[in-house]
Amino acid sequence: MGSRGRDASALMPLVYECAEELSREISPLYIYRLFPICRKGTGIEVCGTELVLTGNSISEHLEGCDSCILLCATLSSGADKLIRRQEAFDMAKAFVTDCIASSAIEDVCDEAESEIKALLPGKYMTWRYSPGYGDLPLDLQGTFLDVLNAPKRIGLNVTDSGMLVPSKSVTAIIGVSDSPLPRKRQGCLGCNMFENCSFRKGGYHCGTE
Amino acid sequence: MGLNELLESRQFVFLDGAMGTMLIDKGLKMGDIPELLNIEKPDWIIDIHKQYIDAGSDIVYSNTFGANRYKLAKSGKSVNEIVSAGIRCARQAAEGRGALVALDVGPIGQLLEPAGTLSFEEAYDIFAEVVKAGMEADLIVFETMTDLHELKAAVLAAKENSDKPIITTMTFEKNMRTFTGCSVSAMAHTIGGLGVDAVGVNCSLGPKELIPVVKELSENTSLSIVLKPNAGLPDTVTGAYNITPQEFAGLMTELIPLGVKVVGGCCGTSPAFIANLKKAFAGKKYVKPEYKPVSVCCTPANTVVIDQPRVIGERINPTGKKRFKEALLSDDIDYILSQAIEQVHAGADILDVNVGLPGIDEKQMMVKVIKALQAVTDLPLQLDSTNPEVLDAGLRIYNGKAIVNSVNGEEKSLRMVLPLVKKYGAAVVGLCLDENGIPKTAEQRFAIAEKIVSRAESLAISRENVFIDCLTLTASAEQEGVMETLNALERVRRELGCQTVLGVSNISFGLPAREIVNSNFLTMALTKGLTLPIINPNIDAMMQSVRAYKLLANHDKGSKDFIAHYGQTVPQAAKPAAGPSDIDLPYAIANGLKGEGARITEHLLETMEAMSIINELLIPALDKTGADFEAGRIFLPQLIQSAGVAQSCFEVIKEHLSKSGEAAESKGKIVLATVKGDVHDIGKNIVKILLENYGYDVIDLGKDVDCQLVVDTAVKHKVRLVGLSALMTTTLPSMRKTIELLREQYSGCKVMVGGAVLTEDYAKEIGADFYARDAKESCDIAKIVLG
Repeated sequence: MGSRGRDASALMPLVYECAEELSREISPLYIYRLFPICRKGTGIEVCGTELVLTGNSISEHLEGCDSCILLCATLSSGADKLIRRQEAFDMAKAFVTDCIASSAIEDVCDEAESEIKALLPGKYMTWRYSPGYGDLPLDLQGTFLDVLNAPKRIGLNVTDSGMLVPSKSVTAIIGVSDSPLPRKRQGCLGCNMFENCSFRKGGYHCGTE
Repeated sequence: MGLNELLESRQFVFLDGAMGTMLIDKGLKMGDIPELLNIEKPDWIIDIHKQYIDAGSDIVYSNTFGANRYKLAKSGKSVNEIVSAGIRCARQAAEGRGALVALDVGPIGQLLEPAGTLSFEEAYDIFAEVVKAGMEADLIVFETMTDLHELKAAVLAAKENSDKPIITTMTFEKNMRTFTGCSVSAMAHTIGGLGVDAVGVNCSLGPKELIPVVKELSENTSLSIVLKPNAGLPDTVTGAYNITPQEFAGLMTELIPLGVKVVGGCCGTSPAFIANLKKAFAGKKYVKPEYKPVSVCCTPANTVVIDQPRVIGERINPTGKKRFKEALLSDDIDYILSQAIEQVHAGADILDVNVGLPGIDEKQMMVKVIKALQAVTDLPLQLDSTNPEVLDAGLRIYNGKAIVNSVNGEEKSLRMVLPLVKKYGAAVVGLCLDENGIPKTAEQRFAIAEKIVSRAESLAISRENVFIDCLTLTASAEQEGVMETLNALERVRRELGCQTVLGVSNISFGLPAREIVNSNFLTMALTKGLTLPIINPNIDAMMQSVRAYKLLANHDKGSKDFIAHYGQTVPQAAKPAAGPSDIDLPYAIANGLKGEGARITEHLLETMEAMSIINELLIPALDKTGADFEAGRIFLPQLIQSAGVAQSCFEVIKEHLSKSGEAAESKGKIVLATVKGDVHDIGKNIVKILLENYGYDVIDLGKDVDCQLVVDTAVKHKVRLVGLSALMTTTLPSMRKTIELLREQYSGCKVMVGGAVLTEDYAKEIGADFYARDAKESCDIAKIVLG
């Protein structure tokens, strides 16, 4: 919300109100599936599917992995609808709800990730990597969604410009391996918000490790 | 034999099972385009159809689920090639077996506005192309739909481009809604009204989980019910479904008492499922659900059943309202939306929409306003116009089941309006007047009501969809007419059984203390059987009458609604005139007190010039919050709240000026747009609020805006500043292109850009004059450019 670590306690009543309203309007959903992967030229093929992950950054990210999880998660159209409504009569609320929703979808992904970890004991996993990070192209989104049948199963679609609809949604790739993975820092340099991050501009950090 | 003969002559009609699941077993890769196999591996497709026919399917769905121009774009094949090949495969399999071939059509794969970028009209075109390509089929099926608006476009495309029977099924989740929030009842009433032949549910869940969905459907439709569930629920990791063909068939028979007629399977099912289904249903009898006709209007997420008085808000109407007329003339949709939101919060159930005004294109405005309203409210709308073309355009675009206001006893009106009501499955208000005007007596008005009802029924518009308006006359001019209106209303309710409508406020024209007359007349009318009062819900006395009546007439069970509204405080006749005693305008702005700000402004206008209020109080107060924001003492939500207060002050000033015939002084016009391809526009909207409150006129082109439209608008309004917003790296090229076009065609303006992915350097690179880091900076830029 732009407070960047400064005292924003005056905002908190509004934040709680919006969070409560948001939680009434959404029905978060996620789907995932484990696929073997193999290296193919400059990219990584997700076996048994049409999806090929291209670019150096994903190759590095999946180094040492023999399979990956494809994950799609969404807060559902309720979030967009609520924000659109609030925009018509209370823009401050709309903005606050928008911020909370952006953070909430990450929570949904965390929940999915813990579920996945519990299902695959003894496996080692990377952090979540999404199309649009580094040089992993955003135009993979369509195929990514089709592979998981996401439009039908969780109502997640993508526009021609690669934007997910409902907008508070995430697609992510998690590398999976039988042996420990080199610990890569998910630091600012690898982040696609690097140039523009308001935390970084203010000399702070968003907290993601 | 066609679909309708099948439905009439058989106890049950059997559909097929999954196509996708069978194709994956044959070797289709996930993410591939399955419809290409119609051409590349027709033997696979024919074989699958044959297996289903052998298992007992009366109807097979062609392998054309995603065969639309959007999804086939990368396939190198045309819709016509793929669809006709798909129908050919099904035909070949059905040859000599008596099975029908359905043209199977799924969702386009792009979301419609306002969630996505696809317009209703484009969706219609995409479906029309598929329908035309599938001419060789016996019937058309639209399935797995989640968006009611998309399904409406599909059904209209089928109806207007073919004469084949239509089956539609939507996909519901455990919360009884589709992914886009559409309810079962809204589907039943909207799609049933468009004249399809069978309606139902497919995919998402297994038969057991779909019981409540089917139950709600059977309570809301008289059409044949279709059920094509999945083979239970999928395993999260492997995707395998969890019930056997025998279990599936057993569970399906449990739904017979709920009225299912047409049955099949969706994801995870196979010919074995259909064979078992057929066996399990053998010897069973179809149970037609008992459907009680109800009067309903709806939007996807809100079905309003008129089983008790429902309030129609009257405020979206320019009659006698200068400010509203100005808004229509200047295309100020936000003002119209504010009129809607106020009524929603006041408790209206339905909103009347009248945008007729000489000098504007009413048809275009009606469509625009309906789209805008439906993006921000779930209340059903009553489309109010005397022009059939306006009604046609409005009914077409409306998402749900609307009310038409109105038809009357005149031959011309009956002939023009009723066919539209039928075509779009709407309800209609019938006014008790004809060529000879408004009759004096209750008997004569009743006779016209009767005529309207019988004409409607002759077009198969049932009487629960005809709402009779016995017409309120002004008590001050025709005092003896008041009881005639009420007596006619009582007869209509009792003898015709129709819902009744009355515009209540007319009663008190020319009288003092209008609220007293209005609210008492409303109560009188309610006791006579008025079910749809058209009132101003913002006036407390009116809503008090409605709520008290509902309590006393035993509609508001346990007085819940009444207590919710009045339990905390004793209702007051009027708010005490609040003076600016303890707080002033700068304080109200700094603390986000919207109502206070407006009230203080009203008081100030009694003693101060409008422009002095703006320049001496409003702008300095805004400047202070701006400075606080920059210094990090307050944050964006608070800055926006302050702007919201200022906005309500400006609205009061505008209203004041418009009454005295003056216009507010503008500091200049600014065009704002979120660029082509980008649908996320909250950032741009925040900028807009701030700019407006610094006195700039903002022409807001919205989101996903065509590059050339930005240029044309800038040229047309001689705008000196254009603001562009983009959220995605993928849409930055549209921003660049818009700037290039502006530079080529119009030299008179500066360009500022902003948005999450922009940087100062990139802004320079694409030729923008200014980079706005945040909303506040865009105001500073406007000051530099426009003063």
